[in-house]
Amino acid sequence: MRSLAARLVLSPTALITLVCFYGCAVWTAYISLTRSSFFPNYEFSGIAQYTRLFSTERWNVAYANMFIFGVLLVAGALALGIILALMIDRNVRGEGFFRTIMLYPLAMSFIVTGLAWQWVLSPSIGVQHFVRDLGFPDFTFDWVARQDRAIYTLVFAGVWHQAGLIMAIMLAGLRGVDRDIWKATRIEGIPVWRVYLGIVLPMLRPLVVTCVVLLSVAVVKSYDLVVAMTGGGPGFASDLPGKFVVEFSFERANIGQASAAAVVMLGSIFAALAPYFYIEMRRKAT
Amino acid sequence: MSVGRIGLYIFLAGAALFFAIPLLIVVMTSLKPMDEIRAGSIFAWPMAPGFAAWVKAWSSACTGLACNGIQVGFWNSFQILIPSVVLSVSAGAINGYALAQWKPPGANMLLTALMLGAFIPYQVILYPMVKIMSNVGLYNSLPGIVAIHIIFGLPVMTLIFRNFYAGLPDELLKAARVDGAGFWRIFWEIMLPISVNILVVAVILQVTGIWNDYLLGLIFAGREYAPMTVQLNLIVNSQMGEQEHNVNMAATLLTALPPLLVYVASGRYFVRGITAGAVKG
Amino acid sequence: MSVNVQGLRKSYGALDVLKDINLDVREGEFTVLLGPSGCGKSTLLSAIAGLDPINAGRIDIAGIDVTDRDPAARGIAMVFQSYALYPTMTVRGNMTFGLRVKRLPKPEIEKRLTWAADMLQITDLLDRKPGQLSGGQRQRVAIGRALVQQARVFLFDEPLSNLDAKLRAEMRVEIKRLHRELAPTVVYVTHDQIEAMTLASRIAVMRGGRIEQYATPDELYERPATLFVAGFVGAPAMNFLPVILRGGVAELGALRIPLDAYRFTSPPADGTPAVLGVRPEHVTIGGPGVAVATETLFMEPMGADTLGWFQLGAQRLSARLAPQLARGIDGAQTVALDIANASIFDQATELRL
Repeated sequence: MRSLAARLVLSPTALITLVCFYGCAVWTAYISLTRSSFFPNYEFSGIAQYTRLFSTERWNVAYANMFIFGVLLVAGALALGIILALMIDRNVRGEGFFRTIMLYPLAMSFIVTGLAWQWVLSPSIGVQHFVRDLGFPDFTFDWVARQDRAIYTLVFAGVWHQAGLIMAIMLAGLRGVDRDIWKATRIEGIPVWRVYLGIVLPMLRPLVVTCVVLLSVAVVKSYDLVVAMTGGGPGFASDLPGKFVVEFSFERANIGQASAAAVVMLGSIFAALAPYFYIEMRRKAT
Repeated sequence: MSVGRIGLYIFLAGAALFFAIPLLIVVMTSLKPMDEIRAGSIFAWPMAPGFAAWVKAWSSACTGLACNGIQVGFWNSFQILIPSVVLSVSAGAINGYALAQWKPPGANMLLTALMLGAFIPYQVILYPMVKIMSNVGLYNSLPGIVAIHIIFGLPVMTLIFRNFYAGLPDELLKAARVDGAGFWRIFWEIMLPISVNILVVAVILQVTGIWNDYLLGLIFAGREYAPMTVQLNLIVNSQMGEQEHNVNMAATLLTALPPLLVYVASGRYFVRGITAGAVKG
Repeated sequence: MSVNVQGLRKSYGALDVLKDINLDVREGEFTVLLGPSGCGKSTLLSAIAGLDPINAGRIDIAGIDVTDRDPAARGIAMVFQSYALYPTMTVRGNMTFGLRVKRLPKPEIEKRLTWAADMLQITDLLDRKPGQLSGGQRQRVAIGRALVQQARVFLFDEPLSNLDAKLRAEMRVEIKRLHRELAPTVVYVTHDQIEAMTLASRIAVMRGGRIEQYATPDELYERPATLFVAGFVGAPAMNFLPVILRGGVAELGALRIPLDAYRFTSPPADGTPAVLGVRPEHVTIGGPGVAVATETLFMEPMGADTLGWFQLGAQRLSARLAPQLARGIDGAQTVALDIANASIFDQATELRL
């Protein structure tokens, strides 16, 4: 048997994948359909956990926050990342310097990112304090401490962390565009911005979709950033599903609610992935 | 230089500032004594820079009960990092090689399963994994958190190496088989030596990923092996009384330093790593 | 050592890539598997090498059934299209890897290395890495790696297709020289008919997973067994005229072409639709054969010859002409079709008649 060794080598991986990823996901899904609360309780209860979940104010805030955070982060990081990539693609001097500065946030953990931004935005020591000292005593920028604004400060930090990734992916795409296209458009006298808008960016649409998917997945999984930056507060105003699940699993110990919330997270991930797989499938079909 | 180009540089400079400011603030604040922080602004240059806060952060900052500094977390992270990276990268390399080059039956199924698995949020499988780990007696232990990092790293590592090995010509394996070499010999003598680049990429990806991990360390490592990120958050966010901002920021920097050094040292490999990990994961 | 393939079948899922292949390569013979891409020639070679499992059939090498043996245990050596040199090993490392795997004694390895390197004139390249070699040098190393095995059966998988035209001609001669000196049994895959014609003792033309004809280059060229072989072999391609056979005459529209000079292998029934194939060199001006009236279309000078194009009824006819002769030709022109050297195929079965 020619691939015997390969099979032997792969069997633990296959087993781990089956048990740890799929088995555990099914287990969680199963718990979400039972009466479990503090302890798992395998008495079937239909969708009771879900109806209860969606009548919990904290969850509804967290779930809505995911969309606010998600839409703004995706839009912000994508816009900034693409603009930066386009600019760097214009043969700027000091490209290495700009790339280095834009990408270093990716090397930082979300914990570090969250803490750093917490200080920058903190009313008592950060931007507000600084501007007031400059002679504008009424200046107010206290979003990180405000119930209705805290979630937006997460967007700042998220964009700061992720824009470099989008820039790197898009720049690689721009650099991969056939140079003859640029020659052809120059001969035809088409302005640079129209070439980007009308020809190059549409060519890179699959990459843009990839970026959107990556950012969306990151949004759904978000946990560390909110823990470090706002702790989900004030109150639970900036809570996110990822944090909700961990807290209900391990601190508040309501495993039924946590599992239902986790399944909703999983559903959200697959919703975010759908366009990606759609494109992959179309690509394979052609 | 045209107006457009000047505008372009101004925008880029502004963006650079946006990216640099958080780090600058953290660095500057960590070098100031507390009175200077209270009196001045965080954007002010330190007047008398000193490493006192760094020393305190490293050796005597308090995490709730104990006051042994962030160094405890540093060594924990280090102990977690080394075996996790070595084992998860090795597993990825061997798996990727077996999948891409030997294409055993079911390879495509396993590949799809791994790819989808890479997208499952940790939160979905956290609780069952805790149950499994405590049943096999690995919960809250060093081997436990290492095993967790290997398991959670498996999809991305395998996919990265698979994509690399799938890009090699089939004939390489055929030639080696005609030469009489077997699975392991081909791996060691032919595949591994040409995998240096992708190995570096994978190592960078895992070093930064595992060092920066918070959630898995929090749940699986237990109090005794809590990694640096967990300790950092404890130091900063559970402090009583007046916040020692300089110590907090020094601790933050110390935590961020290893991956930052990896980033600076590895340059393009890092970019390849995050884009490969991102695009394929 | 002979190579004998019997009843070989191979499929990928529902797709049959090889359908009942029988091939008998005699000791010391240079057999070329020729065909368009996707005809199964490389799959057949892989099956002989033992690199891909087969669905049915049996493969003998030197009279021994090797169907279930590993590639390394079949006594073969192989040269690949991409050369498949191990990138991190030196030329020396590449050439000796297989010998080291087989744990041959060091002096023996050294002896074979020196011999093969000498044979291929690559002695001064031995300490280089493949990345530092030109395409032609890589090709030599790939052949050298096969030579040191001192196998009696060599398998080549399109070894010259990555080289430019000049190098290809050079390496063709080199391979021919090696075959003359060492006289191994060779199975050689290519889609290039010039390579096939120049190298082979016998050519197996393949199409759609079957062998259409297995014969010497001359036989193949002069008496193609099927319409496909006739069209595939020869450049410029053979002229095909759709005709109806009736009473020893080929009817092409209103034109009657007597076939007295043609030797039928199996005489056809009257009214059989057929294809009359005439090679461009058998369409002449003033040469032997049946004279037909045509209209000159244009001339394509190709150096040694000029390819003349003529309109014959609804058909186009190409003729290989001497350049001096071609220069004066224009307008109405009578050309001769050399029926003695033509081929006729049944249109339905595509077999030679």
